[in-house]
Amino acid sequence: MTPLHPPAATTSRLSAFANKHRKYVLAGPATFFIACMLIIPLGFTVYLSMTGASGSVSRNADFIGLANYLEVLTSNDRFWPAVGRTFAFTAVVLAVEMLAGLGVALLLWRTFRGDSIIRVIILLPLVATPVAVGMMWMLIFHPTIGAANEILSWIGVSAQGWLSDPRQALPTLMFIDIWQWTPMVALILLAGLRSISDEPLEAAAVDGANSFQRLIHVILPTLAPTLITALLLRAIDALKTFDIIYATKGKGGGSYHEAETLNILAYSYSFDYQYYGKASAVLVLFLIIILAICAVLIIMRKGRKA
Amino acid sequence: MKLKNTMTAVAALALLLPVAACSPSAPKDGAESQTLNVALPTHAWTNAIKESIPEFEKASGIKVALTTFGEDQLSDQYNVKLNTKSKDFDVMMFRPPQDGKLFVQNGWLAPVDDYLKKADAGYKWDDFLPATVDSVTVDGSVYGAPLITEQEVLYYNKKLLAEANVKVPTTMEELEAAAAKLTDRDKGQFGFLSRGQLSASVTQFSSFLYSFGADFDNGKKATLDTPEAKKAYEFYGRMLNQYAPPGTTEMNWIQAMPIFAQGKVAFYTDVSSLSPNLDDPSTSTVVNDWGVAPFPAGPAGSHPYNISAWALGINAFSESKDAAWKFMEWATGPDMSLKLQQKGQSLARASLYSSAEGTKGFRDDMIAAIKTSTAPGVAVGHDRPLVVKVSEAREIIGKPIVTGIDGGDVAGAIEEAQTKYQQFLDEETKA
Amino acid sequence: MSSKRLAYPIFRIVMLTVVVMTLVIPFAWMVLSSFKSNLAITDPKQLLSFSPTLANYETVFGVADFLPFLINSLVIGLASTLVSLVIGVPAAWVMARYQMTKSSTGVLVARIIPTISLLIPWYYIFAQTGLAGTYTSLILAHMFVSLPLIVWIMLGFFEQLPIDLEESAQVDGLTPIGAFWRITLRLSTPGLATAGILSFIFSWNNFMFALILSSAQTRTLPIALYNFISYASIDWGGLMAASVTITLPVCVFALIFQRYVVAGLTAGSMKG
Repeated sequence: MTPLHPPAATTSRLSAFANKHRKYVLAGPATFFIACMLIIPLGFTVYLSMTGASGSVSRNADFIGLANYLEVLTSNDRFWPAVGRTFAFTAVVLAVEMLAGLGVALLLWRTFRGDSIIRVIILLPLVATPVAVGMMWMLIFHPTIGAANEILSWIGVSAQGWLSDPRQALPTLMFIDIWQWTPMVALILLAGLRSISDEPLEAAAVDGANSFQRLIHVILPTLAPTLITALLLRAIDALKTFDIIYATKGKGGGSYHEAETLNILAYSYSFDYQYYGKASAVLVLFLIIILAICAVLIIMRKGRKA
Repeated sequence: MKLKNTMTAVAALALLLPVAACSPSAPKDGAESQTLNVALPTHAWTNAIKESIPEFEKASGIKVALTTFGEDQLSDQYNVKLNTKSKDFDVMMFRPPQDGKLFVQNGWLAPVDDYLKKADAGYKWDDFLPATVDSVTVDGSVYGAPLITEQEVLYYNKKLLAEANVKVPTTMEELEAAAAKLTDRDKGQFGFLSRGQLSASVTQFSSFLYSFGADFDNGKKATLDTPEAKKAYEFYGRMLNQYAPPGTTEMNWIQAMPIFAQGKVAFYTDVSSLSPNLDDPSTSTVVNDWGVAPFPAGPAGSHPYNISAWALGINAFSESKDAAWKFMEWATGPDMSLKLQQKGQSLARASLYSSAEGTKGFRDDMIAAIKTSTAPGVAVGHDRPLVVKVSEAREIIGKPIVTGIDGGDVAGAIEEAQTKYQQFLDEETKA
Repeated sequence: MSSKRLAYPIFRIVMLTVVVMTLVIPFAWMVLSSFKSNLAITDPKQLLSFSPTLANYETVFGVADFLPFLINSLVIGLASTLVSLVIGVPAAWVMARYQMTKSSTGVLVARIIPTISLLIPWYYIFAQTGLAGTYTSLILAHMFVSLPLIVWIMLGFFEQLPIDLEESAQVDGLTPIGAFWRITLRLSTPGLATAGILSFIFSWNNFMFALILSSAQTRTLPIALYNFISYASIDWGGLMAASVTITLPVCVFALIFQRYVVAGLTAGSMKG
């Protein structure tokens, strides 16, 4: 701990020291903590990824160089489909969440009576515990006892498999993610909208621009940095989605691995197949992918601001 | 000033909390009272033995700390903790068919041979069913005490059978004919159900495979493409494709059993230990309507699996192995076994099935089915391939099942599975 | 013109009603199911008309004994949040004032990394230091999430705070740290509240860390949820009652402090 108010005698010297090196004294503990919790495990993962460890982390742990990476990158039955699913999942949920979130934000932009209640209600999905949310949807989408099929039957639609249908599982999971996180995008964009000043909008209105033209030519360009930030925050979490898939589809993501994203694949490799070397290689590749995407988005945001 | 004080208090509290909070779990050894950590899954057996644990604590002076987890979560715990040579638990409940070979190979389980030699004569080790003893024996050493036994049986809905005037089938052919007759999709009524999920299906499919005269492998060579195995694959896939409710390919027992319990299915093949669910009026509408019969006979006869689904073992890194054995001896001993058997558990001691006392908690048709299934020459001692990386093998073997359920090219899927499984076996024996 | 004026509010009401219904009905369904017997849950005829029962909640607090898990979640959530605030807020302040982009980026990498890769090494370290399964290990693990979150939120907050006050305080003879302590922190209560509340919610909801790192004595609520899925049955009623028990406190908490939660979620998106 930093000596923020020590006894009088040593106060001045300690305080002088702390103030002189304040960057290190104040930022030190936090950075040190994160570094410890991050670098050692990361190093261990990189090390494991170059060994043949399987069964347990210490078995067959001979150094085999990049063989795991080669095997993973040439594996067409698990790795690449999982990459595809991760991207498909992320792309779809981001697109829908951005559009729907923008829509909801625009609806809430101008204050009206009761809008604060709505802003409270839309908070619920995003603070709710994801595992509990997964269980909740598992019951609703249950193929035989779920409410979703019961409601479909009222309008004469036959029962669907939802999470249990290999073709519908990933779209259903996308729906759950969209349900849970659109409100967050909406709230971020709403904050962005409310910080736009009225003058350019009024000027555009005077020039005869209709609502849609104003949206395209004035609102969206001004909102761009906020949009990209929302995109960045959601992208990080969507790529790593784990809790709801684990809760509803279990390890391996179903009979056809139909819901197996990279995070779930890494989990199956580690804790179901005990291929620790291969799992670590998947994790390292996964991290590289996430970092690359974040870098692109951050550069985009900087470009927008400049 | 006020804020300063608050912040100081907050800081002090934050630093003290973890220290204060972790002290209750601190005293681990020490002579006054020994604590034994026992890891168990959420299972009816766990609930049944919980009440009796104070007796053990009183008699032995050992304090027992139970940790229970869902089945998957428990296996995650083992994987992470044993990888780091954890002493977090002393006694561990594990699944011999799924985990046994892997855990032994990793050196995570301690052999109990010496304890067995020294064990009290009253423990009666030779009373355990031979097939279950095999399942906890690896390379001649015993690594645990068998606990729960499971056989695959045929559940049926008496009401639906009576309505259609169908007799309980004893062969596969009769089963298919009956299932066809009892399927009425417009009414939401189905003839047959069993697990269809990629990995979960393999265990329930295994009895079909054996009854058609086949097996997964012969130790070295994959035998998934023998004529017998092909017929078994085709039969199982066809039954679930034509007579089962939709969505079977994603069904483990969690999804399948409730459909039978709702009276929507005439025949359901699954494990004997699921029956308490059918007797629970809060989940089942067939409490008075369900019956159970031995597994139907295929071309090679009736050969259901009979396995030790769960066993108690000792963590190889435990520092309280003696106490752990004491607990195991008590929990799997004749007295406790009888007590738990009477609470509806199906345990691994042979004597329990031949005495009126041991079968008290069972329905007559269930005890008849179990007796028929476990008879010598009938039961097969494994319900999944006997390999180290069971999960991976199951996913290979399950592929043609899923293909069959979806009405796809079973022959092609078998060919692919055979090749992959052979590669898998080659790698296993090499390692 | 006047019909057009009226058209938008009607359109807005209709659309927002749809949005609100979509968000609320699943929760309502979860709550409703938690008051149903398992038989009523599995029977489509009893979709809305059923005789409510409290049996599931009796299971949650009786047989499943959720109270200790609730306390664990509370202790771990509060402690990890408080410690993270104590070390995170000063760090965010110097990072904001002295543009320490490298350090701040480094802290944020923690938010990006897939946490599965950390579990085995963490467990190993905790086991070696005798911390495995203790509150301390879980608090440290949860801090790995809350600290970057707090730094991220406070960084944005401090950057928006006018620097003049600090500067004039220094002219009046305060040291830089003294100015931070006496001036800046006092103006930061909304930021601190935002960061703390959000960090607590994230800790409360965390699943994967406690799944692997907790022991019987320190297990948190999301893990205890799995007690309702056992080897031979799934207790839907109990599961839903347990889900309500977990979700309700955090929802009520979020509703009370909704202003801060919104501020936290949108933090960072506004900074220039």
